[in-house]
Amino acid sequence: MVDISQYMTKAHDMGLVDGTVPVEYYTSPEYFQREQAMIFRRAWLMVGRVEEVGNPGDFVVRKIPTLSANVIIAHGKDGQVRAFHNSCSHRGVALVCEERGNALTFRCPYHAWLYRIDGSLNAVPSAQDFPHVDKAKNGLAPIHLDTWNGFIFLNFADTPEVSLREFLAGLDVMLDGAPFDQFPFYVQVTDEIDCNWKNLVNAFNEGYHVAILHQKTLRPAVVPQENPHLNYLDIKQFGPHSAGTVQRNFDYNPDAPVLSWVYSQMLPTSAPDQQAIAEGRAGFYEHPGINRLNIPNFGTETITIFPNISLQPLANGYLFYQFWPLSHNRMRMEVRIYSRHAPKNLREEFAMAHTLAATRDVVVEDMAMSRLQQIGLETGGKKVQNFGENEPLLRMFTRDYEAYLAGGGMLPGQDSAEAAE
Amino acid sequence: MTTLQLPEQFAFLQPFVATWGNLHTQDERYRKRQELAYSDLKAFHAALAPRLEEIFSYLDGFDPIALPEQEALLLRVILGLTEAAQAVEIFEQPHVPYAPFPHSVKMEWVGYRPH
Repeated sequence: MVDISQYMTKAHDMGLVDGTVPVEYYTSPEYFQREQAMIFRRAWLMVGRVEEVGNPGDFVVRKIPTLSANVIIAHGKDGQVRAFHNSCSHRGVALVCEERGNALTFRCPYHAWLYRIDGSLNAVPSAQDFPHVDKAKNGLAPIHLDTWNGFIFLNFADTPEVSLREFLAGLDVMLDGAPFDQFPFYVQVTDEIDCNWKNLVNAFNEGYHVAILHQKTLRPAVVPQENPHLNYLDIKQFGPHSAGTVQRNFDYNPDAPVLSWVYSQMLPTSAPDQQAIAEGRAGFYEHPGINRLNIPNFGTETITIFPNISLQPLANGYLFYQFWPLSHNRMRMEVRIYSRHAPKNLREEFAMAHTLAATRDVVVEDMAMSRLQQIGLETGGKKVQNFGENEPLLRMFTRDYEAYLAGGGMLPGQDSAEAAE
Repeated sequence: MTTLQLPEQFAFLQPFVATWGNLHTQDERYRKRQELAYSDLKAFHAALAPRLEEIFSYLDGFDPIALPEQEALLLRVILGLTEAAQAVEIFEQPHVPYAPFPHSVKMEWVGYRPH
């Protein structure tokens, strides 16, 4: 059996000695308000991919529920992608009602104020009645937008404290050029859950629960013999962001009739494409920042981008998870299963629908447990949660969460990539 | 009133048409799986799973975006197996353990219109 102890990162290896976290962080409305102000209005927030607005005129409308924000992201004729609050300068109407589309102008359906796709105000009917409105100063209100490796980030601060590059703190360097663009097609699962958002952030930051909670779903495919508690390996820190290498069980060979038929048609995003790996065309597997130590039985590099993103690049696509707090005990979770292409025939549609159901069921297990956890936290018998040596990323998230709430967390101009070797 | 019929060679699936044939989204299929008795899910899986390849070989002969009525019905019935198989092959019960019941989630395909 492979000895993986050399790759195992424990909390004390990272200097994370505090093994408890106050339950209050997970149950208090005041903490939610502080999170809105000190985290979500300060951090860069990932909101999508550039492929979603690939051509001039393409736009999408995104809700950022934590901030009650409604945002238009639009690809201008000049090639630039911009973000605006979806709100008419006249009397505030959210003027773009489609979720996505292609347009050269946005026209408010209330009184027909007209905006160009770059957000500038183009025309006001009966303009002589608005002598005090300077068209040049009354475009749609812009939101800071930047992109990294095809991912679109927004920053809701008046002036961001750090650039996106500084915010990413070296994670961007490790994953520079990782081929997310090779997997443009996705199916999405969305649900709202009665729990604190950090319950689910934490669930994606440790493998300890996989053999238990996911014993029927993930365990057979994922937990290898040499790592029965699925410790995350070779954990890297980049400011508040992290990456950990996660193994997979390559002895897994599904024999259930429908599952094996699905595998024969179109491999699930989560299943390794053995032939592609052998031939060196397995997308992320060739990237030097992913499984940089060539740990045997490699499954995925689980990447956490503070505060609310988890990405899992796989041989055959990648999984995207986002966690939005709605209150101290309610959250919205978005899951996207990215793959190379849309189904090309009915066999592939069936296979992808099956993969969607299977992935959803795993996530439903996590959501169900996070809901039970919230009930247990709110009953009031416990003042702390305990985070183990095998849950270093939970301790790390807590450390950086506390730093943000205290007004810190971001270090302008400093490259804080500090890999925990 | 006549019930919509499956293509003749797949008449063995007729007992499952009333359950699965009028469902049009993955979430409707997910909810149906939760409502059914486990024995019903097992019977559906046992009848259909061994013949999936045969059915898709037949459906390969049709344009996916212009399926005739009978073939569209056949496809809707067999898409129910994407959910029933999770119950039978993975959980050995209709529900995801510990999840609320009935449970529903939003599922969207972006840039593709599923059947």
